[in-house]
Amino acid sequence: MTMQNEVSEEKVAVPVPPSKKRTSMMRLYYRRFRRNKLAVFGVFIIFGLVVFSVFGPMMTEWNYADPDFTALGAPPNGSHWFGTQKSGHDLFAQVSHGVGRSLIIGFTTSILTTLIAAMVGTATAYFGALGPAGRRMEKVMLGIINFLLIIPSFLIIALVIKGYGGSWQLLILVLVIFGWMGAARVIWSLAMSIREREFVTAARYMGVSSGKILWRHMVPNIGSLLVIQMTLGVQATVMAETSFSFLGLGVKAPDVSLGTLLGGAQDVLYSAPWLFFIPAGFLTLITLAVAFIADGLRDALDPNSSAGGRA
Amino acid sequence: MLRPLNLDFTVPLAKRWWIWLSNILFHWNWGLNPTGGSVNEQISYRIWVSAELLLGATIIATVVGISLGIYTASRQYKLADRIWQGISVFALNTHIVVAALLVVYIGISINRALNTTVFYVTGSSSFDVHGIWKFIDALQHLFLPTVSLVIVSFAGTHMLQRSLLLDNINADYVRTARAKGLTRHQAIRKHAMRTSIIPVATQIAFSIPGIFGGAVLTETIFGWNGMGRYMMETLQKNDIHGLVAVSAFGALMTAIGAILADIFVVVLDPRVRVN
Repeated sequence: MTMQNEVSEEKVAVPVPPSKKRTSMMRLYYRRFRRNKLAVFGVFIIFGLVVFSVFGPMMTEWNYADPDFTALGAPPNGSHWFGTQKSGHDLFAQVSHGVGRSLIIGFTTSILTTLIAAMVGTATAYFGALGPAGRRMEKVMLGIINFLLIIPSFLIIALVIKGYGGSWQLLILVLVIFGWMGAARVIWSLAMSIREREFVTAARYMGVSSGKILWRHMVPNIGSLLVIQMTLGVQATVMAETSFSFLGLGVKAPDVSLGTLLGGAQDVLYSAPWLFFIPAGFLTLITLAVAFIADGLRDALDPNSSAGGRA
Repeated sequence: MLRPLNLDFTVPLAKRWWIWLSNILFHWNWGLNPTGGSVNEQISYRIWVSAELLLGATIIATVVGISLGIYTASRQYKLADRIWQGISVFALNTHIVVAALLVVYIGISINRALNTTVFYVTGSSSFDVHGIWKFIDALQHLFLPTVSLVIVSFAGTHMLQRSLLLDNINADYVRTARAKGLTRHQAIRKHAMRTSIIPVATQIAFSIPGIFGGAVLTETIFGWNGMGRYMMETLQKNDIHGLVAVSAFGALMTAIGAILADIFVVVLDPRVRVN
C-alpha cells in the first residue's frame, strides 16, 4: 500500500501540505535507495537467488549428492537442466545447493564480523575519551588489532580447515575470527569523532554505564557505515569462500559450494564447458548484485554522498 | 643419524630451535623439506617464476588503470566514461578464478581454431627451445596468466584514479594553471595529476602482498611453479620449513610494499621533505 502512495506522490509532485505527517527516516532511506536503479535490480537478483536456493532442490528430482549413472557428463537437457558432472551428479541440484551455501556463509560471516568489529572498534575509540589511563588502553587495543592484522590469516585459515576437514560451520568460524580486524580499524577511525560529541560526554556525566553508552549512543551513530560495511563484507566472504573451496581448503565433498564446482570444472573446461560457465555465472551474479546493493545503500545512508541527488 | 638433520629428540627443544634459527640468520639456510631437498633451492628459482608473472601484471595493470582513470575523468559522464565505468565495475566484481578460467577457455578456443598452439595454458616455459625462440616461448606462456591478473586488478586503480582526479580537476590551482595559458591537457597532466596520483601510488604499493595472494590461485590454475603454488604444496605435504620460508617471503613483500609506498610519497609529494 505504502509503495503505491509513494509512487503517486512523486509523480504528481504536489507540494506537501504542512499538516501532513513528516517523512520518516526509513522512508527517506527507502526513497533514496530506490533512486538507484541498479541497486534495486541487485535486491531482486539476491531475492531471486535466495528463492532459487530454497526451492531449487524441490523442483528437480535429483539430489546434489546422488549421482545418476545413466548420464555421466551429459550436457544440459530436459532431464538434467544444467547437465551433469563426469561423476553423474546433477548440476542444477548442485548449483542451487552451492548458491545457498555461499549465501549462508557470506551473510552469517559478514553479520558476525561486523558486530564484533563494531563493538571492538567503538570501544577502542571510547577508551580514548576516558583520560590518560583510557588513552593508554586505546593504544594497547590498537596495538593488538594491528598485530592481528599482520598475521598471515590466509595461511592460518588454510591450516585450520585442512586439519579439521571441510565443515562449512568451521569455515564460518575461522573466517569470523580472522576477518574482523580490518573493519574494526575503519570503525575505530570513524568512532573517534563521535566520542568527542556532547551527547556522549553528557551521557557519561549522567552516570550511564560504558556498555550502554557504546550500544545506545555510539554504535547507532555509525549504523549507516556498519550496514555498508556488512554488505561489502558479504561479497568479500563469498569471494574468500570460493577461493578456499577452489583450492580444496574450504567446503569439501560431498558438500558442494560454488568454489568446489569451479574447482571441479577446471580439468574439463573445454570438454564440458557448462560445468564452468553455469557456476561462474551464478558467482558473478552474487558478487555483482551485492556490489550494486552496497552502492545503493551508500547513496541512501550517507548524507554527504553526491550520488544521492536531492532528497 | 638424526642429529645432522636437527631432529634428535635427546637435544633440548630450545637448542634445536636455536640451531634452526641461527642457520637461517647466519648461514641463510632455510632447512630441508620432508623428502630431504633444500628449501633454499626451491625458493631461489620459484621467486623468479613468480616475479616474472607478478611484475609484468602489476606494471600493465597500473599503467592501464591510471591511463583509463585520466581518460575517463576528463570525459566525465560521456559515453566512453560510462562504458569503461561499466567494464570496471564488472571486472572489479569478477572472481580471479572465473577470470582465469574464462581466459583459459578463450585461449584454448583460439588454439583450436588456428590448429596450433598460440597460447600455452600450463607451465611457465617449454624445455626444448633455444635462442630467440626462448623469449617468444616465454611470452606465449606469460600471456594468459598476465591477462587474467590484469583483468582483476586494473579496475581498482581505474576507479580510484578517476574519482581522485575528478576531485582535483575543478580545484582553484588547476583553474589558475588554465588561466596562465596552459591547455586543458597540460593543466590536467602537470597540475591535477601530480596531486591525485599520490594516493593511487600508495594503494598500488600496498596491494603488492595482495597480488601475491591472488597469484596463489593464478599459479594453481596455470600450473606455474611459483611461490603461490609452493605455499599450497607445502601446506598439503606438511612441509614446515618450506611454509616458514613462504610466510617470510609474504612478510618481506608486505615490508617492501610499505617502503615503496613511503618512497612514492616522497618522490611525488613536494610537501614531504626528507633530510
